[in-house]
Amino acid sequence: MSELRNFTKGFVKENPTFVQALGMCPTLATTTSAVNGLGMGLATLSVLTLSNIVVSLIRKFVPEKIRIPIYIVVIASFVTIVDLVMHAFTYQLWRTLGLFIPLIVVNCIILGRAEAFASKNGVFASFLDGLGMGLGFTASLVLLGSVRELLGSGTIFGLPVWGKAFNVFAMILPPGAYIALGMLAGLFSFIGIKRRERQKAKSASEKVKA
Amino acid sequence: MREVVKTGLILFIFTLAAGLILGLVYSITSPQIANAELNFKLSSIKEVMTDPVTGELLIPQKDIPKTLEELNQKVFMSDDSGVLYTSSRYGGKVHSPAYLFTSRDGKKIYVLEGSAIGYGGSVVCVAAFVKEEDGFKLNALRVTSYSQETPGLGAKIGEKEVMERFYPVPPEALEKGLKVNKDAGVVPVEDPEKMKYLREHEGVIQTSDIMTGATLTPRAVVNTINTMYEFLRGEVNE
Repeated sequence: MSELRNFTKGFVKENPTFVQALGMCPTLATTTSAVNGLGMGLATLSVLTLSNIVVSLIRKFVPEKIRIPIYIVVIASFVTIVDLVMHAFTYQLWRTLGLFIPLIVVNCIILGRAEAFASKNGVFASFLDGLGMGLGFTASLVLLGSVRELLGSGTIFGLPVWGKAFNVFAMILPPGAYIALGMLAGLFSFIGIKRRERQKAKSASEKVKA
Repeated sequence: MREVVKTGLILFIFTLAAGLILGLVYSITSPQIANAELNFKLSSIKEVMTDPVTGELLIPQKDIPKTLEELNQKVFMSDDSGVLYTSSRYGGKVHSPAYLFTSRDGKKIYVLEGSAIGYGGSVVCVAAFVKEEDGFKLNALRVTSYSQETPGLGAKIGEKEVMERFYPVPPEALEKGLKVNKDAGVVPVEDPEKMKYLREHEGVIQTSDIMTGATLTPRAVVNTINTMYEFLRGEVNE
């Protein structure tokens, strides 16, 4: 049960983007369209999962004082490997996403999960945590990218939804990123409040019954 | 003291291991990367030597280079600095090397790579110019690198629909110097025939209707074309 929770907590409850507000730089920069969001999300997912596994494996050999530089070395190595492998074997995809890949190094979700989770937990739990957080991040970026692409260009994943007349040009620009992010973060915190209220009401009614 | 040495040693071991792994991955992937880059270059060269109206190759199929050696045989001018020509007027560059092909009907075709500064950095293009009796004609062009341009705005320059707005251009219009419609003070037209007329007679390239809000990126492409033309007129025209 707790293993399943390690996996699913990243989706809504501890969603890295909208709840933990981690990794804002790539989130704001790359979500001009749904495809860009998906690409950035998947690249982050692979680095996050791999670095979580390695950080968990080496956690007993890493002295407290130099843990941050060592985690950075691990993360930067994986990012470089992903970049080289994509450049060599998936050239077209690399041309589209190439710009975002080096950005993953500075994504604080990865260092955050290494520090908060992988350095204190076993390999399998860390793997699930990385995978779940990565999927949560990917879904958030796709959601944000879809909203901005729809409002800004009238398409989702390049498929036309409505005419050019409805397009709000600013949604593709940085202000649109902040507005959309704020609205979605508000929605997520609204869902969180509602959930807690329902739980409270439930436990209260149980008490009355008892 | 011992603590410091021990910590330093552990950090050293980790960075050494990371360095070795990266070196290994690099040596495995570098030939593949060089190959992928070359294939992309060869396919761009083939595309710009295709007639945009009929869709046929300008040169015989067998003359299309397939390897680096075959491509190197077509070099007609190169420079170790990597730059063949810099235009002070347009701020563009022609990169080294430049290639020369011969068309089916015996005309010279110059394939050049060049760049100018867009919104965020260099916008690189590959273009083919055909030597006609009255000068050089721009046959076709591909924008090959625009990674610093804003996604959804300037980065639209990589779309085929946008690139097709830039060619073909006859010598007459190239001589006047190309301009984007905003700089030329021309209101966007909807009729494709009118658009073609403006490009082929006045040198006006219209992009403002399909890439709203981005002027610097298409201006960089236009400046690159003008620089290439200046280079051909000055350095090549005998």
